[in-house]
Amino acid sequence: MKSLAWLDNKWVHLLLRWALAGVFIFAAVSKITAPDKFAIAISNYRLLPHEWVNLAAIVVPWVEVMTALLLIFGVWVRASALVFTGMTVAFFFMISSALARGLNIECGCFGTIGGKRVGLTSLLLDAALLLMAAWLVWRVKNASQPEPGSNVSGGINSESQSAQPS
Amino acid sequence: MWPSVQRACLIVLLSSALGLVVNLVSPKGIPFITPPKLLPKPEELITLEQAREQWSGGLGFFLDSRAPDDYAAGHIANALNLPADHFEPHWAEVAALLAPDTPIVVYCDGVECELSHRLKAKLAELGFPNVKILQNGWTVWRTAGLATEQGARK
Repeated sequence: MKSLAWLDNKWVHLLLRWALAGVFIFAAVSKITAPDKFAIAISNYRLLPHEWVNLAAIVVPWVEVMTALLLIFGVWVRASALVFTGMTVAFFFMISSALARGLNIECGCFGTIGGKRVGLTSLLLDAALLLMAAWLVWRVKNASQPEPGSNVSGGINSESQSAQPS
Repeated sequence: MWPSVQRACLIVLLSSALGLVVNLVSPKGIPFITPPKLLPKPEELITLEQAREQWSGGLGFFLDSRAPDDYAAGHIANALNLPADHFEPHWAEVAALLAPDTPIVVYCDGVECELSHRLKAKLAELGFPNVKILQNGWTVWRTAGLATEQGARK
């Protein structure tokens, strides 16, 4: 992994955190302002049982907001990157499944603004975000210094004593 | 890793709770459990055979509730376009042709399609009770080899 060592720079971590947070905040806003439309977007994927669609539409954008805020302020970075990874993995499966079934539906990824159809672009964007978040999950605890922007002592550093991967 | 997993679960739980509370107080809140889909009652439906008879008899009107693009690409012959999603701009033109007791058949395309149900509900509000739904109308009509035509609204 030596060639990727520069990615362990704390400023790169900061950049990744803020970029991911920005995407989630942007994604959450229109979902929160129009939960009924977001529910229809979820329902169009025909993956969740019908009764659960609204609950997902209510909950998902707030998980995005909370994750984004924690990433911005550098609190529980590894845990919030883990949530981010989990969500992008779920989105990855939903989008690929929609593509595999040839569904011509709105992505709903950024709410319903622009009526963007689900497609390969959505999948690639999701995969890129997934990799960025997974990198943080993997590397953040290796940081020997406090993350820039971290103002809570119980943040990432409290996890830096645990066992190293690899 | 384990503390992070616990915290991740906590993040999801807390923000879910926050979302539920916000939804409860927000004027745009939606029901926690998705309400069942609008399923048409049997008496609101018309069979293909009945629809065909009505069509050949020249009685009443067929209204295509799909978007103008879909209508232009192909529709039941002589059907008028009254998109359920853009009802207002098209309504005046269609209304001029209808009497309250005119038999009307509404349709869209696909078993899941709800446009015709929405159009029926709107027509009922406006005082047109004699409206039947031909479910999955465009597909069943076309595959039965019945008369169709193409082109935008006349």
